[in-house]
Amino acid sequence: MKRFLLSLFLFLAFFSVPKNTSAQQAHIVVEPTALTLNVGDEVQLTANAISANNEVMPDTVLFFLQSRRNRRAVGVTRDGFITAYKPGTYSITARTFGDTPLREDFEITIAYPPVTSVGIEGIPENLYANTSLNVTPKIVDATEVVRDNVDYTILSSNPEVAFVDDFDQLKLLKKGKTTLTLSSENISQSYEIEVEENPVTSLELSHNYAGKTVRTGDVISFTATPKDRRGRTVNDIPVTYSYIVQPDDDLGQGASALIEQDGKFVANHTGVYTVMARSGSQISETTFRVESRNVRRPLQVVGKGIVPDVKTSDLWVWEGVDGRDYAVTGTWGARGEAFFWDVTDPTNIHTIDTVQVDARTVNDVKVSEDGTIAVITREGASNRKNGIIILDVTYPSDVKILSEYTEGLTGGVHNAFIYEEHVYAVNNGRKYDIINIEDPTNPYTVSVVELDTPGHAIHDVWIQDGIAYSSNWGDGVVAMDIGSNSSADMPGAGGSPENPKYLGSYTYPSGWNHAAFPFKSKSTGDFYIAAGDEAFPYGLDTNGPNRAAGWVHFVKFDGWDNPEEVARYQVPEAGSHNYWIEDDILYAAFYNGGLRVVDISGELMGDLYEQDREIALFLPTDPNAAIPNSPFTWGPQPYKGHIFLSDWNSGIWAVKLGEATDAGAE
Amino acid sequence: MQEQNKMKKWALLFGFLICCSGILSAQEYFVYVAAESEDEVHLVRFDAASESAEIAETITVGRFPTEIDGPHGISVAPDGKHWFVSIAHGNPFGLLAKYETETNKLVGTTELGMFPATMEISPKTGLLYVVNFDLHGPMRPSNLMVVDPNDMEVLDVIDTGVMPHGSRISPDGAYNYHVSMMSDELIEISAVTMEVTRKLKLTKGMETMASGDEHAMHHTAMNNTGMNHSEMMHNPVEKPTWVDPHPTKPLVYVAANGSDEIIEVDIQKWTITRRFNTGKAPYNLEISENGRWLVATYKGEGSTGIWDLESGKEVAKIANTRRVSHGVTISPDSKYAFVSVEGIGGEPGSVEVIDIEARELVDYVETGKQAGGIYFWKMSN
Repeated sequence: MKRFLLSLFLFLAFFSVPKNTSAQQAHIVVEPTALTLNVGDEVQLTANAISANNEVMPDTVLFFLQSRRNRRAVGVTRDGFITAYKPGTYSITARTFGDTPLREDFEITIAYPPVTSVGIEGIPENLYANTSLNVTPKIVDATEVVRDNVDYTILSSNPEVAFVDDFDQLKLLKKGKTTLTLSSENISQSYEIEVEENPVTSLELSHNYAGKTVRTGDVISFTATPKDRRGRTVNDIPVTYSYIVQPDDDLGQGASALIEQDGKFVANHTGVYTVMARSGSQISETTFRVESRNVRRPLQVVGKGIVPDVKTSDLWVWEGVDGRDYAVTGTWGARGEAFFWDVTDPTNIHTIDTVQVDARTVNDVKVSEDGTIAVITREGASNRKNGIIILDVTYPSDVKILSEYTEGLTGGVHNAFIYEEHVYAVNNGRKYDIINIEDPTNPYTVSVVELDTPGHAIHDVWIQDGIAYSSNWGDGVVAMDIGSNSSADMPGAGGSPENPKYLGSYTYPSGWNHAAFPFKSKSTGDFYIAAGDEAFPYGLDTNGPNRAAGWVHFVKFDGWDNPEEVARYQVPEAGSHNYWIEDDILYAAFYNGGLRVVDISGELMGDLYEQDREIALFLPTDPNAAIPNSPFTWGPQPYKGHIFLSDWNSGIWAVKLGEATDAGAE
Repeated sequence: MQEQNKMKKWALLFGFLICCSGILSAQEYFVYVAAESEDEVHLVRFDAASESAEIAETITVGRFPTEIDGPHGISVAPDGKHWFVSIAHGNPFGLLAKYETETNKLVGTTELGMFPATMEISPKTGLLYVVNFDLHGPMRPSNLMVVDPNDMEVLDVIDTGVMPHGSRISPDGAYNYHVSMMSDELIEISAVTMEVTRKLKLTKGMETMASGDEHAMHHTAMNNTGMNHSEMMHNPVEKPTWVDPHPTKPLVYVAANGSDEIIEVDIQKWTITRRFNTGKAPYNLEISENGRWLVATYKGEGSTGIWDLESGKEVAKIANTRRVSHGVTISPDSKYAFVSVEGIGGEPGSVEVIDIEARELVDYVETGKQAGGIYFWKMSN
């Protein structure tokens, strides 16, 4: 029995030893074991692969930065030479690739440089009791980087006079003196401030809609004028604006209005509003009613050309040299066709010719202003040369291919524009080529526009009055002078197709910039670029219904160097694609959200969707469509009183807006 | 002791027979193929008994179907648990996507370079080596990226030739071989040290010239006045598009798309040993696991060639069902070659199954448009 128990013990002891012992014990030893560096430091790591028997193995140990995203923060060579570029903590891996591959993950820390200077910005010359204002701490380190990740305090020597709260609001309580001291690490800076008696004894409040009906979406500019007891205006005293509202619909609706601290106010919903201005203990207010914008109009389907077997991409509608009206539509992921339609009678849209080229997608189609030349783009050519095809559309029922141009355009042309005998072709999603087509049978490239930002990409280019507006995803909208003329709404820079010159740009954080449409507001004279998104965060099923995201950003340019994003049109359940603006009306394709016709008259501010500006909505669906009964609207074009639109799933449509009525459309 | 040895031998024999019976009775073969203009990957199942192929599953891939990107290269991990697809073009960079083979679910992505193309995983390092073909960029050297397929992180970027393509790993996993299409070079990279170890000029008549010499010659020894540098430096003849190492011999075979040749290279001597004249524009090729057959796609004529590597003779040329033949992968039992064919325009692509011994097309299945990258996954009963 004893023997059996001993045997059992030995058996269990043997099998209780973890398997692959040697593999578990072999490891990499990196020296030094803990590493904290300063910016600019360099250090050579050493490493050895140690076997289970605690012997150094001959395997070469290689070092890798775990995430290439950090490669500009820390340099790691394969043999372990580390260069510290940017503060932070980074993961590094030491590996061997011998018979027993080993891996050791470890971290290095690059210390933040010490703070070397601190300051408080935004303290005005005159400070008044019973007011408050924002101040900005500025903390700079030894590498002259302004830091926002370091602790600081702002203390007041006499908090009964003034102090700075947790949100960097300087609260001025009463007349007197105090010293504000900003400290971070071991650096401090003090400011002696003196708070004066608040001289304001009255506050007048006026606005630019006095005597007018205020509608949802109307931007009202309020002006508060603080005055002292002698009636003199006190210009440098802070004034804050706010509002209260009694909405007509108080059943849980969202925010009713937006008010900025420059006094601009816009209401989203109808109701009775009271706007208040406050300075010190003085408050002034004005109450007014906001009415419905009441812009809805009926919309009627006039005609359609259903494309039943392939997906439809872009469209262009033009007047032919014979005075009749025509449209061309592209196709997506199909047989490389462009369809030509007679749309003279929009109730009878019918194809008159088809051009087929070696491609899978003819994404974009454009026609010259004189109606004789068209360009179609190619993707998925079997020889992978892609490029563009230039067509003679003088007789749209007998379209002729004039030339194929692929020079430097092999990566695929997704979009193009024709302007003054040049084609602007978006090349490989990376740049746009400017191609002279004075002789359309012999095109040649005259210049190329490409950004120099890291990872730059481009989606579209649109020309107006000699200015090219390109849409560049993460790099936003970029305006280039390619021969601006006197009709241009903004000043040019003497550019030409051969020598394009940069004018201005605007970038926004999402990186979704897909289209751009410049316009001068007919009602205000302001110049805007409507910058549109494209995004498919829910994926895209090419064989079924879909849902998109993204919106149209309204960027107001007060000079090329002064863009400001002031408003958006966002359909919450859908996403923007192509759009057109004419006479202060936005015609926007919103993919699954169909066509949206939107009143963009007046100054633009805030969320236009919430402001009851939508004139009409149309969801093109057809049971015989390529994707039946499912809208996915690609792009609209207002033309001779109708709105033509292409829909990815169904083809080409013509709709017409009815007349406005007092009651709007039901 | 003798009895124990006997038992061991029997056990080994039994195990061997089990393995053999598994292979011999294998009825189904599975390959993955990418349809570049459809943003889809298909899993194709071929039933050897009925000699019929079908699409077992279609997986939508890619980031932005409405844009110009599309799936190009495809590979399966040595353990068969994951497959990888490169999304070429991009915005502007392409990406690598990793999927589970059992579920075909996406499990990770990482950003690559310009037009990432072909790739393979080294069984030695476990790392994936993918070339950034940069098909539509200027004629300048591109790179190969080394990706840890577990973490899906790029570990290293290795500068290589102009338009690198055909990234394949030596059987021992120690080296990556690929070709530089626009500089007519075969390039060898150490999978372990991640450095370019050798380059071989493939141009006929320039084989003895060390790669890079022609550059030096142009720049230093010649009177450059009036010469067109871009034409002079990038005047590829062979335009190699693919390379595949022999499974047992120290040889690699290169598809010379521009000169209609297959080039055999002795990697011990690092020299060209044979050139075979082929059909028009050989594009991809693969050597069978038994080392006997080489199957090459002839992109320019829509056919597939079967070569006997012993004799160096093309033993069959089989017309594909449509134009633009693309990729090829061979089953591990060396019986079947699976060929992807792109088609043109709206035409579907196809995967065509060729019985190598019988030298005939036994079946084909239509795929999404522009069938390209293709890779064998598994055999099963």
